Amino acid sequence: MTRRLLWFAPLVALAALATVPWLASPALIQFGITTLLLATLAQAWNIIGGFAGYASFGNSVFYGLGGYGTAIAMVQLHLPFGVGLALGAALAVVFALLLGLPVLRLRGHYFAIATLALAEAMTGIVANLDIAGRNIGLVLPLLKGDALFYELSLGLLALVTLTVFWISRSRFGFGLIAIREDEDAAAVMGVNTTLYKAAAFTLAGFFSALAGGIHTYWITFLDPISAFDITLNVMMIIMAIFGGAGSIFGPLIGALLLASISEVLSTEVTNLASLFFGLVIVVAVIFMPRGLADVMRRFKRLGWRYFSQNVRENRL
Amino acid sequence: MTPILQVSHMTKRFEGLVAVDDVSFELAEGEILGLIGPNGAGKTTTVSLISGTVEPSAGKILFQGAPIAHLPAFRRSRLGIGRTFQLMKPFPGLNVLDNVAVGALFGTGGGQRRLGRAREDAANWLDFVGLDHRALQRADELNGPDRKRLELAKALAMKPRLLLLDEVMAGLNHAEIEEVVTIIRKVRGRGIAIVLIEHVMKAIQSLSDRLLVLHHGQKIAEGPPDEVLSDAQVVEAYLGRRRT
Repeated sequence: MTRRLLWFAPLVALAALATVPWLASPALIQFGITTLLLATLAQAWNIIGGFAGYASFGNSVFYGLGGYGTAIAMVQLHLPFGVGLALGAALAVVFALLLGLPVLRLRGHYFAIATLALAEAMTGIVANLDIAGRNIGLVLPLLKGDALFYELSLGLLALVTLTVFWISRSRFGFGLIAIREDEDAAAVMGVNTTLYKAAAFTLAGFFSALAGGIHTYWITFLDPISAFDITLNVMMIIMAIFGGAGSIFGPLIGALLLASISEVLSTEVTNLASLFFGLVIVVAVIFMPRGLADVMRRFKRLGWRYFSQNVRENRL
Repeated sequence: MTPILQVSHMTKRFEGLVAVDDVSFELAEGEILGLIGPNGAGKTTTVSLISGTVEPSAGKILFQGAPIAHLPAFRRSRLGIGRTFQLMKPFPGLNVLDNVAVGALFGTGGGQRRLGRAREDAANWLDFVGLDHRALQRADELNGPDRKRLELAKALAMKPRLLLLDEVMAGLNHAEIEEVVTIIRKVRGRGIAIVLIEHVMKAIQSLSDRLLVLHHGQKIAEGPPDEVLSDAQVVEAYLGRRRT
């Protein structure tokens, strides 16, 4: 009975979310689009960061490539939006494979630093490309239709979450988890670690690029600084970890909660918003470093001790 | 019949230190070879060279007649080489059953494709090593002896043809050692060849068909256990030179 309920709940939630454009105010729909895309990015990061355990700071590069693919296709080549999305996704996939193979040989902090450098390098490259509008950027044709962008974003989020759901119960996913838990042991047990890591990086890149493409067409403007903004990557990571990296629904819930908190703070207390937002993050990391998904699993057994135990285990 | 494993002139140098020095030996199907020697003799490095976590500086390794010395570790495990680690390497965040399921999902021939099947296999292997009552516990919650059992179950779930056991009895009490000895006998009963590194002399003496002694990376003796253990050079390597 409860099992069937668990299957049912996400479908009901999806259906309910799909009706939002007919019921909500324009401001709420816009908030919805942003949040759905952030959740998609957090979920995509979850594949490489949560399952394979590789803390990527290069996912905003995928996002930016998706945006630029779409913008270049539509503005410079006068192709339809769908082709632009595909071009952006293809760019991200090629990028993930070409740069992932060398960079994924690095572990831990070194991987994080290397991907961080990729993001910086991309800003520089794109700012010098004529076809990408140099550092002025590109302006896309305006399409009025927030409902359409909302449904597209929701569909993409559903797709990436389905992918993560499949990963969590597949041989592929077990290989990724084994890599995260102990890469040497994984290799000795027969996991093709290079291939699996590259595949996870590529999947993350694919979905991030689609999110970037949708976002770019929605706001109709793109420049190198905002396209490859590293703060966006930090947001993905915080959201995924807040909700529970390596879980199926954690990153979604993390994105929804944090985006809502951030939104409420910035309308209610305006200039102190980022301070409060920072506080929320710090408190979350201290009391629930493994995210909401872990709280759900273990709070029932441990009760309030769960939080004190985390504080004790993670003292600095 | 070709030996399952042929090692010839295998050498590993680590920046000046020769950890394994021109070592050659063979292993027949279903045979148990005991690998002994003082600490730092190169036993673990030998196992790592065969399993592929360390690449040899020189020499050949043939597995079932095919050269493997430069294959990546995952390919060797797919050919049928399984190993345990002396410093155990459980997947700490996974439960015990899923730890073993990883072995069943990959391992020899690429393993099971379906998670359900792999978990069934894993449950059987947990039963085999006497860890079934811990199946749903997280691996990092296990005590030392249970971690040793887990290490063994993970390697066995890969259905290896050659199993490399690096000190699976270290830190166990007498009763637990007896249990592991029984398990290893059962494994051999299935026709699996075993290389066994162990300091527990009684156990290795009774299990091994042959012993190979390493000292400073070199092979100093090889043969039936009783002969090897009475060899003057071996005694000296272990206990030091007798003063006269």
